[in-house]
Amino acid sequence: MRNYMIRRVGHSVFIILGLMALLFFAINILGDPVQLLVDEDASQEAIDALRKKFGLDRPLYVRFGDFYWDLARGDFGKSIRHRIDAREMIWDRLPNTAILAVVAWILGSIGIPLGMLAARRPRGMMDRIVNVLSFAIISVPEFWLALMLILVVSVQLGLLPTSGFNGLGPAGWKFMILPAIALCPRVLGRNAQITRATMIEEINKQYVATARAKGLAETTVLYSHVLKNAAISIVTLMGDELAGFMNGSTVVEIIFGWPGIGKLLIDAINARDLPVVTAAVFVIALMVMAINLTVDLVYTWLDPRISYS
Amino acid sequence: MIQEETTTLEQRPNKVVAIWRHALVQAFFSDTITLLSAGFLLIIILAAAFAEVVAPYNPQDQQLRLRHYAPLSTGTAVDRTATPPTEDSRFFLLGTDHLGRDYLSRLIFGGRISISVGVMGVLISSVIGVFLGLIAGYYRGLLDDVIMRTVDVFMSVPTLLLALMVLFILGPSFTNIIIVFAVARWMLYCRVTRGVVLSLREQAFVDAARAIGCSDGRIVGRHILPNLITPLLTLAALDVPRNILTESTLSFLGFGIQPPESSWGLMLSQGRQYIVTAWWVVVVPGMAIFMTALSFNLFGVWMRAVSDPLQRWRWLKATKESKEAGIKM
Repeated sequence: MRNYMIRRVGHSVFIILGLMALLFFAINILGDPVQLLVDEDASQEAIDALRKKFGLDRPLYVRFGDFYWDLARGDFGKSIRHRIDAREMIWDRLPNTAILAVVAWILGSIGIPLGMLAARRPRGMMDRIVNVLSFAIISVPEFWLALMLILVVSVQLGLLPTSGFNGLGPAGWKFMILPAIALCPRVLGRNAQITRATMIEEINKQYVATARAKGLAETTVLYSHVLKNAAISIVTLMGDELAGFMNGSTVVEIIFGWPGIGKLLIDAINARDLPVVTAAVFVIALMVMAINLTVDLVYTWLDPRISYS
Repeated sequence: MIQEETTTLEQRPNKVVAIWRHALVQAFFSDTITLLSAGFLLIIILAAAFAEVVAPYNPQDQQLRLRHYAPLSTGTAVDRTATPPTEDSRFFLLGTDHLGRDYLSRLIFGGRISISVGVMGVLISSVIGVFLGLIAGYYRGLLDDVIMRTVDVFMSVPTLLLALMVLFILGPSFTNIIIVFAVARWMLYCRVTRGVVLSLREQAFVDAARAIGCSDGRIVGRHILPNLITPLLTLAALDVPRNILTESTLSFLGFGIQPPESSWGLMLSQGRQYIVTAWWVVVVPGMAIFMTALSFNLFGVWMRAVSDPLQRWRWLKATKESKEAGIKM
């Protein structure tokens, strides 16, 4: 187990280093970092001055070494736009994104009982309804749902604020409801689908026939035998979805003015703020990696049959 | 005698294929939801392909006096390019936008971009993914390790983040969006292809082909590739809606399609500020994205179900021919 963990962590580190190398080469070879920093109509002198200022006139391998050295120390440099340490900007925003994602993720777990209901009778009425419903909600663009929620709940009914942020304490809960609802459908739909699929797969297995043959009640069979075995896949998927939250949360944060990492990243891209972009990509990758690692470890804990030797 | 045997050997598979095809067609037409989604997709794709013919008006034609006309209203448009200026009465099924442009026409032309981005993204990412997956699965060894570790790196990054990175470096445009999908989705196809190839290369028919001296190219092209078509088509059908959603998100954020071109996501982004006064500029393109993505998803799921030997009995009913031929569905 310890060997497995060491190997697994090494794998994660390798992936992050690989990703950052990809980012470095994409910025420095496909594009030109100075061009990313300046406006389109900047003069040649200004470009050369900037190139010197940021040390971009040094050879590529020196900069590549520097880049990794800075990563190792967690030093991304100062934000070009805000003159603040990029790392501090990330640390300020990180909890906001994390809490929003976790709330949306909890809302999304409603999908699990829905999937269980559907699996009771494959191709039955309930199954068809849940099936179409789950695909309907994963087909809704998050930003559109966000706009519709603002239109109906905030503008027409005047129940909740249209956007904003008021801390993560009790005073801020009003601002969190709509973003969380806008963010949860994907997770909810995927949860319902995977729960349904794994439950049906388990039901077809022989131990279910045995359990039924010895006269156990259908409820016992489903909820204490089948569900336990299906839980492994469901947990894995829920972890994946938590790791994939960035896909939706970026746009939701923008619409609701939620000061999270996604909004920071988009603002930094628009402002051509390279240090902040690099820092944001690094931290997001780090978070995804941490979640994946946790999922893998929970997986071994849930299913003792799996041994990683 | 020998002649007879060869004909039966060739005819039997053909008959089996015909029976399967018949059962499949029957299952397709008997499932209302699948039929509806396929029908909707057909309409949307035809409308996008023949946008010039289908769209009632020019999508770029600005009529500032007709700003934000509600759906189902009529107005008089003036053509100032003609001398003397001519007037014509117009019917706006889905209303007009903030520049008085017919929203239905814009929706049809926007759909052309949205759908072609979705489909072309799938085509290019699948070609790259399948190619690398075939190499990895068939040759194994060091090449396999390199390719699969690269897949791991790409897989661990959220699609939108990869997309933003690519567009940050290359700048937004129609072509670059397609490049985004090639970069951000190829590994899905690579993984599926490699998985199938790994299980197939150990099977007797591949050994047999190798034994009679087939080249690697022939084994992969004639014996392995055909087995990949169904899983890949299913994956593609489920990936098109994801691409359409991602494109709309990117365009909404301003990193995707740029004006004067238009896509459904860009329409939403432009209509966003008028949401309170003119609800249809936000509701209509959103519904278009939603319905198209849903139809692709439902159709893809049906494809997956009927191609899965463990699931398909629930969908395919035994026909008269299949019973006679003794084929179990």
